[in-house]
Amino acid sequence: MSSATRSLSRKRPSGRKALLATLMLLVAVASAFPLAWMVLSSLKTPAESMQVPPVWIPRTPTFEAYEKVSGVINVGRSMWNSLVIASITTAGILVTSLMAGYAFAKYHFAGRSLLFSVLIATMFLPPIVTLIPLYRMVGSIGLTASLAGIIVPNLANAFGIFLMRQFIAGVPDDLIDAARMDGASELLILFKIVAPSVAPAIAALALFAFVYHWNSYLWPLTVLQGNADSYPIVISLSRLLSYNRGAVNTGLVMAGATLAVLPPLVLFVFLQRFFVDSIVGSAIKG
Amino acid sequence: MTKAFQTSAGIMLAPAVTLIGIFVLLPMLLTIWLSFQDWSTQTPFSEASFVGLGNFREIFGPTSIGRDFKAALLNTAIYTGLSVILILPLSIAFGLMVYQRDVAGGTALRTVLFSTYMVPMIAVALVWSKLYSPSEGPLNQMLGLIGIGPQPWLSSPRSALVSIVFLNVWQQVGYFTVLAIAGLTQIPGSLYEAATLDGANRREQFRYITLPLMRRTLLFSAVIAIINAVQVFEPVALITQGGPVGSTNVLTYHIRRVGIERAQGGLGSAMAVMLMLSLIVVVCALFAFVNRKDSE
Repeated sequence: MSSATRSLSRKRPSGRKALLATLMLLVAVASAFPLAWMVLSSLKTPAESMQVPPVWIPRTPTFEAYEKVSGVINVGRSMWNSLVIASITTAGILVTSLMAGYAFAKYHFAGRSLLFSVLIATMFLPPIVTLIPLYRMVGSIGLTASLAGIIVPNLANAFGIFLMRQFIAGVPDDLIDAARMDGASELLILFKIVAPSVAPAIAALALFAFVYHWNSYLWPLTVLQGNADSYPIVISLSRLLSYNRGAVNTGLVMAGATLAVLPPLVLFVFLQRFFVDSIVGSAIKG
Repeated sequence: MTKAFQTSAGIMLAPAVTLIGIFVLLPMLLTIWLSFQDWSTQTPFSEASFVGLGNFREIFGPTSIGRDFKAALLNTAIYTGLSVILILPLSIAFGLMVYQRDVAGGTALRTVLFSTYMVPMIAVALVWSKLYSPSEGPLNQMLGLIGIGPQPWLSSPRSALVSIVFLNVWQQVGYFTVLAIAGLTQIPGSLYEAATLDGANRREQFRYITLPLMRRTLLFSAVIAIINAVQVFEPVALITQGGPVGSTNVLTYHIRRVGIERAQGGLGSAMAVMLMLSLIVVVCALFAFVNRKDSE
């Protein structure tokens, strides 16, 4: 913010500042409220969560719901499945995006801009458009009902290529040429020289991919077709509700939701700098 | 460009291009091809038989297939329109709150707003279904405190779709706020200085500097918001199953129900093609609109 706007701001009447502060507080509270309600509800007793009008703060917080949740769905297994899906998918996206991003940023070859445009266009394709044939294709190569069926179709995506190209384009050509003079292979140059110099962008992409595939629901639901052993946590969570419909234990559902939300939220809290920077980067440069 | 680098380019591109080719481009072409076929999703592609525009006639026809599809298309349009109309102005307002330096706490506000974007939609749907609960939910309780009677939220065909729009806006607005902040940082401070010297007040500065220079950002945000909105699935699949009375039957849910669950792959593909065409038309219209404004 420039000095002129700063000095301007000093002239603002304090009444407007108070109004602005109040508004900001209201927005923050409204934004945080649903998750706060989720955590609070997960700590209620079954009787408390059925009370009308609703109780906001549990009088005797209990972890009962968390213990019970493991009796209904296999929490450990589901979290592990989610971790496997999100980690392997992320690793794949990083490798394929770095390689393709490097080619688009640093090589000149016939049809480069056409190929890039075609790939980028897929970024705007809602997954439902390809869901039906993809379901059939994955089924015909025998990958339905398995984690591989969830992972393999997602090992490369246009957003990753786009992001990597944007950042690798900023790596000086001299650096790459010097390594070539020394006889380094292109793959070695990419992973030993280029990749380290775009580390923040790689971190951002990794976090994005991990959270996206941890949260992803439509594709796993379609591929798995009732194979409970392979359920990621988000699908187990949806089973919790259908179990819950008769039993009406809101606390149970909220405990499950809290567990599913925790990993992406913790990642975000510690690494939000990267998230924000990469969104800003992709928006401005794009 | 030496020959060696042509080979290198091929090696570097092969993994991503092969994967995207097989798992995105090929299924997209198959969807288009299948939309002209009579085909059951349970059978191999070789079982498909050509029916010309038959599927399209059916999904726009007078039977229940046509009625359901047209209703789903309309629901999706309403849902998408409302989402964009709410998200864009809020993202600018929140972006200004984060960006300004008169009151501290902007960055903290950004963190709180953006954190909701990390929450799996399935958890969002579960939590909001409880918030909306007519008797045990806190929303009606709070409305009661300010003298507004209980709302039916998800249980009435009049309010269910809008209720899902609200939870979508709540989840996504933080992401668009960050986009808005990115746009705001691109506006040179000197413009505001000059305007202040010319005696322009804050409202005029917003109207004649901020908004016009945010046009590109808003276009980008609108396109992303539209693409995101047509993907709404979890709250519908989990909470409303398209109801009550079909009021929340949106396209992603409907296409999956027809094409996967009922295995009517040809019909489902025709619906997917219509969705794709609608998106192309809307996005092109948006670009044309903004470009015309730019040249004015």
